[in-house]
Amino acid sequence: MCKLGIYLVCDYPNREKFLEAVRVCEDFKIDFLEIGFPFSDPVADGDAIEQAAFDVLQRENTNDFVDRLKEVRAIFSKKLYVMTYANVVFGYGSDRFAKDIECADGIIIADLPYVESKRFKKPFEKYGVNLIHFVTPESTKEDMDKIKNSSKDFVYFVSMRGTTGGRLVLDDELKSKLEYMKFGFNKDVILGFGIKDKIDIKNACEYSDGVVIGSEAVRNLNNNSFYNYIESLF
Amino acid sequence: MNGYFGSYGGQFVPETLIKTLRELEDAFFRFKKDKIAKKEFEDYLKNYAGRETPLYYAKNLSDYVGFKVYLKREDLLHTGAHKLNNTLGQILLAKFMGKNRIVAETGAGQHGVATATASALLGMECVVYMGKKDMERQEPNVKRMKLLGANVIKVEKGSMTLKSAINEALRDWVKNVKTTHYLLGSAVGPHPFPLIVKYFQSVIGKEARKQILNQEGRLPDSVVACVGGGSNAIGIFSGFVKDNVELIGVEAGGESLELGKHSATLTKGRPGILHGALSYLLQDDYGQVARVHSVSAGLDYPGVGPEHSYLKDSERAKYDVCFDGEAIEGFKVLSRLEGIIPALESSHAVGYVLKNRDRFKDKLVIVNLSGRGDKDLGIIDSLEGNNV
Repeated sequence: MCKLGIYLVCDYPNREKFLEAVRVCEDFKIDFLEIGFPFSDPVADGDAIEQAAFDVLQRENTNDFVDRLKEVRAIFSKKLYVMTYANVVFGYGSDRFAKDIECADGIIIADLPYVESKRFKKPFEKYGVNLIHFVTPESTKEDMDKIKNSSKDFVYFVSMRGTTGGRLVLDDELKSKLEYMKFGFNKDVILGFGIKDKIDIKNACEYSDGVVIGSEAVRNLNNNSFYNYIESLF
Repeated sequence: MNGYFGSYGGQFVPETLIKTLRELEDAFFRFKKDKIAKKEFEDYLKNYAGRETPLYYAKNLSDYVGFKVYLKREDLLHTGAHKLNNTLGQILLAKFMGKNRIVAETGAGQHGVATATASALLGMECVVYMGKKDMERQEPNVKRMKLLGANVIKVEKGSMTLKSAINEALRDWVKNVKTTHYLLGSAVGPHPFPLIVKYFQSVIGKEARKQILNQEGRLPDSVVACVGGGSNAIGIFSGFVKDNVELIGVEAGGESLELGKHSATLTKGRPGILHGALSYLLQDDYGQVARVHSVSAGLDYPGVGPEHSYLKDSERAKYDVCFDGEAIEGFKVLSRLEGIIPALESSHAVGYVLKNRDRFKDKLVIVNLSGRGDKDLGIIDSLEGNNV
């Protein structure tokens, strides 16, 4: 059973449309949601998500995102994650941030590699929020072994060298790394970056336990075509 | 090596870059020990870049302020700023690693020009990211980069200054990590960049220490350098950090010390994470990086190198500000008294010494004159009421 996750930028394009999109995800029984808390310098993101982040930051801050997360939790019944950047956590206070997003199942920090994860892991685990690790085409076997041993929830497998919004290419290197990552690992390996449509999902799911769609979902939400887009994925 | 200076530094980057940073660290340590590589680097510094640069006793300026001021003349280095020390070094390192493409960011354009220069010399493909605002205010350097064969890419996102240029260079690097070396120009970024940049810039401090001992028979009382990211400052400080010499980093006070109107990261910021490192950062209460301002494009940056944060907290160095107007005063005074037109960045160090002349009474002071100011004539011209 291949899982489908959707990434949404918190309160983009506005609060109403964002919450409506969450309801659509609930109705379609999307397996998990990632709610992006915008950052001023999102270096892991491509244009679509960066522009959405800048737009939201014009009018909102972390207090608003935390409030909205609670509303999302009330609507969405499956797994819920927060995705952001290290300084959104650090600059707000890691402990305070962890406590405020307690209703989430996990946290994904785009510029937090495994080697720097220790200082963040503790406060989040205190509040039952799992820190999600990344694996990429650049990861070595030793890197993947460490991440297998310390992951309490899914592993986010970045499909490509690049930012969000690129194009998925399932080459031999990627396939063999996905295979190695899955071997002997009892959590999900979720493929992200570059997943756009039903065909991508079908291809990706041959080698992973699921996918997450970000840029394409954000674009469709902005174009008022979110419902039809989600429907087209099934 | 854990990649930290005290509690500052680290590698806060997307996981994709970790393996490359490991390889870079490993290659850098091998490069430092490699006698042939070291000799090649020293040869380029001497015969191509024009090292050593003079330590000039600025007699007229000294008479004007009432104490002895020496200028470390990095403005006389080929391309007109200290940046070439680092770009020659890092491009040799990139070749050592088998990379054939260079990406770089630039603010004032001095690092971009130095990168384009060393790329032309050593046969590297060169891409420079530069904010739209900086391309407009530092146009002569854009022309120079293009002439040198660099592909200059205009960044029209975010602040459209140095910070945005670094964001884009990082994105390029993540995408092209197998073939490309990211040539960071300041002592910022993830480990091992702050160490690498310091290593290549430490020649400034080594020379200055030897030169002042030759000329004055003693060490200076104070060493003053401007700090944006902090590469020229860390370069000259490194020569004196073990001595009983006061080290002063001068940040851009901009128009005032209200958030958004200056770039005085160490003076007004608090620890945060940007561009791969934990260091002082100008940010709001929620960790969003603040807008900053400086009349000088090279100092117009909300972060600072992690070693400077460490030097500040350990009180080994002092950091203070020079406002836009005071820097312009430094620019004019040095031009008229000594016939040396300093870069607006370096003018902050000069302006600081001028405004604190009472504090330096009877002292022996070295100012790191990190660059020349030809590139800034347009800015000076356009400032209202400034009749150069």
